[in-house]
Amino acid sequence: MKILISSLASLVLFASLGFAQSPAAFKSESDRVAVIEKVKPSVVAIFARGGQGGGTGVLISDDGYALTNFHVVQPTGPTMQCGLADGVLYEGVLVGWDKVGDVALIKLLPKKDGDKFPFAVMGDSGKVREGDWSIAMGNPFLLATDFTPTVTFGLVSGVNRYQPPAGLFLEYTDCIQIDTSINPGNSGGPLFNLKGEVIGINGRGSFDKRARINSGVGYAISINQIKNFMGHLHAGLDADHASLGALIRTDVENFGLGKTRITSILVESDAYRRGLDQEDEIFSFAGRQVTSDNHYKNVVGLYPRDWRVPLEYRRGDDRKEILVRLMGVQRKELDEPDPKKQPKGPPVKGPQGPAAKYYEAKAGFANYYFNRQEKARLMTAFKKQGDFAGKGGTWSFEGRVTLLKARTDSPFTAEIKDEKIGKSEKPLVTLKIGAFPDMVDPNNANVNELRKPNGSGGFLPALYVWRHLLLEGDKGFTSECHHGGMEPIYMPPTDNSTVKNWLAQRVDAEVLNARTGIYLTKFFFAKSDQKLIGMELRLQEANEDPCEVYFSDYRVVDGRQLPHRMQVYYKDVHYGTFTVGSYKVAGN
Amino acid sequence: MNYKITYRLLGIAMMLLAVGELRAQNSVTAASEQVNRKMVKLFGIGGFKGLPSYGTGLLVSAKGHILTVNNHILNTPGIVVHLYDGRRYQAKVLIREPELDVALLKIDEDVDFLPHFVFDKAAEKAMAETGDWVLAFSNQFKIAQGDEPMSVQRGAILTVADLKGRRGIFDAPYSGDVYFLDNIVCNPGAAGGAITTRKGELLGIIGRELKDNRIDTWINYAVPIQFKIEVQREDKKTGKSIMEKESVITFVHKALLGNYQETVKIRREDKGGYHGIILVVNAVSSTPPYVEEIVSGSPAAIAGLRPDDLILYVEGFSVPTIKIWRETLKQYEPGREISVQLQRGNKLENVKLKLANPPKTVN
Repeated sequence: MKILISSLASLVLFASLGFAQSPAAFKSESDRVAVIEKVKPSVVAIFARGGQGGGTGVLISDDGYALTNFHVVQPTGPTMQCGLADGVLYEGVLVGWDKVGDVALIKLLPKKDGDKFPFAVMGDSGKVREGDWSIAMGNPFLLATDFTPTVTFGLVSGVNRYQPPAGLFLEYTDCIQIDTSINPGNSGGPLFNLKGEVIGINGRGSFDKRARINSGVGYAISINQIKNFMGHLHAGLDADHASLGALIRTDVENFGLGKTRITSILVESDAYRRGLDQEDEIFSFAGRQVTSDNHYKNVVGLYPRDWRVPLEYRRGDDRKEILVRLMGVQRKELDEPDPKKQPKGPPVKGPQGPAAKYYEAKAGFANYYFNRQEKARLMTAFKKQGDFAGKGGTWSFEGRVTLLKARTDSPFTAEIKDEKIGKSEKPLVTLKIGAFPDMVDPNNANVNELRKPNGSGGFLPALYVWRHLLLEGDKGFTSECHHGGMEPIYMPPTDNSTVKNWLAQRVDAEVLNARTGIYLTKFFFAKSDQKLIGMELRLQEANEDPCEVYFSDYRVVDGRQLPHRMQVYYKDVHYGTFTVGSYKVAGN
Repeated sequence: MNYKITYRLLGIAMMLLAVGELRAQNSVTAASEQVNRKMVKLFGIGGFKGLPSYGTGLLVSAKGHILTVNNHILNTPGIVVHLYDGRRYQAKVLIREPELDVALLKIDEDVDFLPHFVFDKAAEKAMAETGDWVLAFSNQFKIAQGDEPMSVQRGAILTVADLKGRRGIFDAPYSGDVYFLDNIVCNPGAAGGAITTRKGELLGIIGRELKDNRIDTWINYAVPIQFKIEVQREDKKTGKSIMEKESVITFVHKALLGNYQETVKIRREDKGGYHGIILVVNAVSSTPPYVEEIVSGSPAAIAGLRPDDLILYVEGFSVPTIKIWRETLKQYEPGREISVQLQRGNKLENVKLKLANPPKTVN
């Protein structure tokens, strides 16, 4: 009885103490320590070869890919040295970068082929809220010569913050503001949530009249923005950020929210071709509401150039939704390089050391070596869907076509072949819808003929280029063929109904940008199995509306996957849906 | 029976533990959202001499009364106010309180039902203590505009102590007890922001940017809302100057009722003691403090200072120019013995200088 009472008393005492201070605080502290222990091995201390400068990075895959800031690798040049928390120094090479977003992807070389690296998991920065806890890790002041990262802990002070660029680059859009201490050398390092997931990459702070050290206000690039660029980074691209091609102004009335209006718009922009014009009021972009300049800049800055996103606008009482292809930010600079506008810094060094063999310079790419790798991987996977080698004879297929504008449903036959004329060959594409045939030589016709059938924007040549890809792969596009990273594609509903919510139709696709003859083609491959799910064909001009073909309903024909549905769009209009009944694919 | 009680108590104990755990693990998002609704972003003149053109304020009434710092932004004819939900208004200054370094503004339109901090008797609770954990809210660096929320930071109270402005080192606009904070909250535009408990209860008003020139360090402080300081005002009946005590709470409380009697800034005289050192002519802005002459019989003469000595340090603080020397000396009162390090020829010398009352001047 006595024992019972005393143990009871101590229990109550313990409980009340616990409330005031210890077990809970101790638990959260030990949890925190455990998380730090878990993620510490993924933190990379980055040094320029030869020692001048550096920063931090974080491993995100077991094969050695690590994220950091562009402003960390810009001075190191394409090769760098990377220390991990266990004290081992690795060679690193630049893979891809996003200068405007201040992000770079590097790859650490394993000591032995097949060696695995520790890595951190990427979280969902969209779930981060003001007032959440965060942990930053890195190498402030480059003081850890044994590469052990410094840990700092603090609050998320704000989310969806906008910090304007320094010149053209290093624009922080939709970023995470923290009071977690970050200092020079922390740049490129990870910001973790309390689960140890990477929610951002630390990169800059507000200083004003203070020295360039922690002022209680630091910013991390949100990991969700970086995810949008990940395909581009892996493909070794010099990725560009998006712009709409329009200037906006936010009108504010006392009551209610700001109205974001277009003040001017570039006529060569896709937004203009889609119908957007001056004085239109933008109220949502990619599913997010736009009520201020900062909102607008935040949401546009999340995306890479050339991505298509849904945009809602109001003109008078009309509310419209369009799918807009975004323009670039660096465009002007590419057209007319201006040395004054280049970011300041030491001259970029050439590749050095053992990692140099993984670097290949090429304009428009951060490291062309990785683009070739990605392209080869994509084409190998694509070929698994069907190997058409030696099948260069006449291809024909037939079925029914629904023409949306004409509201007709008719039988069709199509034929793609290379006609022998003496010793040379002449390609020829024929499409007969009902009783009306169209025929074109895709290598030798004027633009009006190439747009056939009328209203399709060029379905005939598209069929030719499609077959060309199946037959020849990337090798068939000698003038230009590179992996274009990752882009969303919006698959039309298979029942030809009107799209109610474009975001719901989105599929992430790997992109191949290819040129043959006058055709500039963008092929879209499903990220999951590398099936060809779409293509955009442009004639000569990059700034024109393409013929869009969406492939679906794949079925096996003679051991090869072929699409049995092709939906054709041109200038926002659904031209028609071809439902294929049968294929005949002849050999040479 | 006993077992039943044991189990019941065990249950309560577990519950208490669970609550404790929740408290320790929780983010401060809820408090942050709640506080943010009661705060406003202010925009006005500035942008020169390192003075920001933006600031932070607290709503203290449903009708749009705003408490903020008594600084240059208030000289703007129409101060622009952004509410938490993006609504924008203009505001006018109703009354300033120079000793507390705060002012009360009012939104220039009829508004009502605004979420706000309550300044009544209930706010008069005990001040926070050293080691207490606090949150800071402000629109520092003008990061937020429209409906974007304030920045929230966390910190701890390092100490509660008298903020003594020292000429030449830093000029504090407020003289009294403040919360000194461990996090960097006194950034541009932060003054007038809120320091709260982690539940979002108001503790203090974020102070201005202050830099201690001796150690080149920025000071982070907040004025406790209930701390009473002396103010000077005119007695309504006699017309004489009288001293009374007011706090931020009493200021807001009375000012909202329209019966806060204005005060005047108290003149604080320099208290620097007499030393008897005559320096070379202060010809350029960076003239070093070379001794020209020593008044015979003065404290400096007693301490053994001589003409041509170059004064380097006073109480360990560098005095590179005559201006800094003068301002530094103003803070040492008569009777105080200060250590002075100087260069004499090629040697460094340390002397103790006991300051005296200024000699009576004969008219």
